[in-house]
Amino acid sequence: MTPVLVVAVTVTAALLALAGIASTLAGRRIGLLHLWGAALLEVVLLVQAVLAVVLLVRGDRPADTPTFLGYLAGIVLLPVAGALWARSEPTRWAGTVLAVAAGAVGVMVWRLQQLWEATGG
Amino acid sequence: MAEAAGDRPAGERPATAGGPGRVLVAVYGVFALAAGARAAVQLSTRFAEAPVAYLLSALAAVVYVVATVALARGGRRTALVAISVELVGVLVVGTLSVLDPAAFPDETVWSAYGRGYLFIPLVLPVLGLLFLRRRARR
Repeated sequence: MTPVLVVAVTVTAALLALAGIASTLAGRRIGLLHLWGAALLEVVLLVQAVLAVVLLVRGDRPADTPTFLGYLAGIVLLPVAGALWARSEPTRWAGTVLAVAAGAVGVMVWRLQQLWEATGG
Repeated sequence: MAEAAGDRPAGERPATAGGPGRVLVAVYGVFALAAGARAAVQLSTRFAEAPVAYLLSALAAVVYVVATVALARGGRRTALVAISVELVGVLVVGTLSVLDPAAFPDETVWSAYGRGYLFIPLVLPVLGLLFLRRRARR
């Protein structure tokens, strides 16, 4: 868990959410841009997850490790689930679906950071 | 998930699973994930600390999962029941957690009317019921 990755996740998620909302407002379906955005977000999240697991194995433990692991597993599912659920939607609402997933990632990553900083004794 | 509804003729999508309904399903899905993960952690690691609160947490998770699946597959009556239970749940648990904080030592999704989740748990069932009613009229 590094602040750099948390910021990278937040920025990517925010841009993806904006792109999703923009396509809904424009009355268009999602395009390749959105799918690449979701893929990029997923890659950054996976890097973060691998890093977190390495740190956990080395012995750095947040106070509430089970909750931390729950968030860590949940957050990597979101871009994939969001992209799949949005891709089969033929209307302009696909963008909003993706924005919901991206927004949830943006919130969860900060909760993860919070949990990580509360290191147990 | 919509493809899983095999008992329907091909090409026909459940009314609740398209357009804005799909956004509703997405939000419900996020909450099913959040509440489910939270309940799983609470029940498996510290059930004895506050059994009632954690069982309510698990109930919330089940309600979100049922509502998500019902909305996605077009099970209108199931969705209606699940969302009604959700509304009652968030009001009852929200009120209890404000009146007697000691009974809820750990946050649940519905604590203080979902304050920890930007009050979305309070708004979501209302939106869900309005959405179902609008769909029924058409």
